[in-house]
Amino acid sequence: MTQGVLLFCFDTEHTRYHKILERCVGLIKKNLKSQITVVTNFETYKKLKPLGFVNYKFIEPELGNKLNGKTWNNVDRHMAYELSPYDTTLVMDIDYFCFSDNLAQLFNTDYDFLVANQAYDLSGRNSFDLRKWSMIPMVWATVLVFKKNQKVRKIFNTVKYIKKNYSYFNEMYRVYARNLRNDYLFAMALQQINGFIGYPKMPFALATLPPDCEVVKVTDKGLAWKHKDQISYVEGQDVHVLNKDVANV
Amino acid sequence: MDIGELKQQSDLSYDIAVAKRNALEKAQARQVLAYNGNLFRADPQTICLVRTLKETNSSFFILDTNDNPVEINNADDFLNKLIARNQETLNTYHQTYETFARKR
Repeated sequence: MTQGVLLFCFDTEHTRYHKILERCVGLIKKNLKSQITVVTNFETYKKLKPLGFVNYKFIEPELGNKLNGKTWNNVDRHMAYELSPYDTTLVMDIDYFCFSDNLAQLFNTDYDFLVANQAYDLSGRNSFDLRKWSMIPMVWATVLVFKKNQKVRKIFNTVKYIKKNYSYFNEMYRVYARNLRNDYLFAMALQQINGFIGYPKMPFALATLPPDCEVVKVTDKGLAWKHKDQISYVEGQDVHVLNKDVANV
Repeated sequence: MDIGELKQQSDLSYDIAVAKRNALEKAQARQVLAYNGNLFRADPQTICLVRTLKETNSSFFILDTNDNPVEINNADDFLNKLIARNQETLNTYHQTYETFARKR
């Protein structure tokens, strides 16, 4: 049984995502000690420094999505099932930095599909309550674990279907998102495919730094950030960094 | 007390409270343990339950974090892993907590 991490990375005109990927890959190798496959395009690949043994799959990202007015190439996650070469796959956002080996044990479960449904705000402001108007529980597709089997194939097929009819499902579930987010896609798909009644989740919250926290230092053990005039840091804890300027640190 | 000193103390207390919360969250995330294909929390409740059940049964059933029933056949091994993980996380938390005491 093969297992590995699948990452998606596409540079945009505003953000050098490849710099974030380089850091992410280093931390995965150090802490998860897992095989890695990067889904990218040739333009991004050309800018990457040598990363050692990493598999690459080349696709052209689907365009059109934006975040805060900036191009955001994030809508290819629905292809993770087809793109992954592994029997068990951990899909991660590249801005999720593994400073621990916590995620490695998710490879060793019998669960077909696991997703996180809680995010923890490291700045102490509880700013990640995604469910405002929505009729369904939300999830964080930042980290997913799935096995290749018929049931999971159906989950991804449902994600594709919802993506194709996103505006309809967006209204129906009162998500009211202006852009396409994988979090919402997977929340809707999991709700549909699991009979509207619930599904297994990761039993921990994803520690997350809000976009207004500026990362000032990253080491191989942890990171420090600045919010207003305050510097804080964590070590040995995985962190999802939402401020994309981390590419320049 | 002048207002500047008051604000400084208030800011410090807030920073320590947030750092403490983060350290506790880190410990709780680390307490998740994969065992026999399921996920458990190495928390006091699970440890006490396993210890109690193993006193009278060589194998027994408990619920994992998604409420799935799991048969435990080697209770000693499971309990040792739970305790080791629990103490590892609390030891790390304690070390972090000590730095708060120095800041106050």
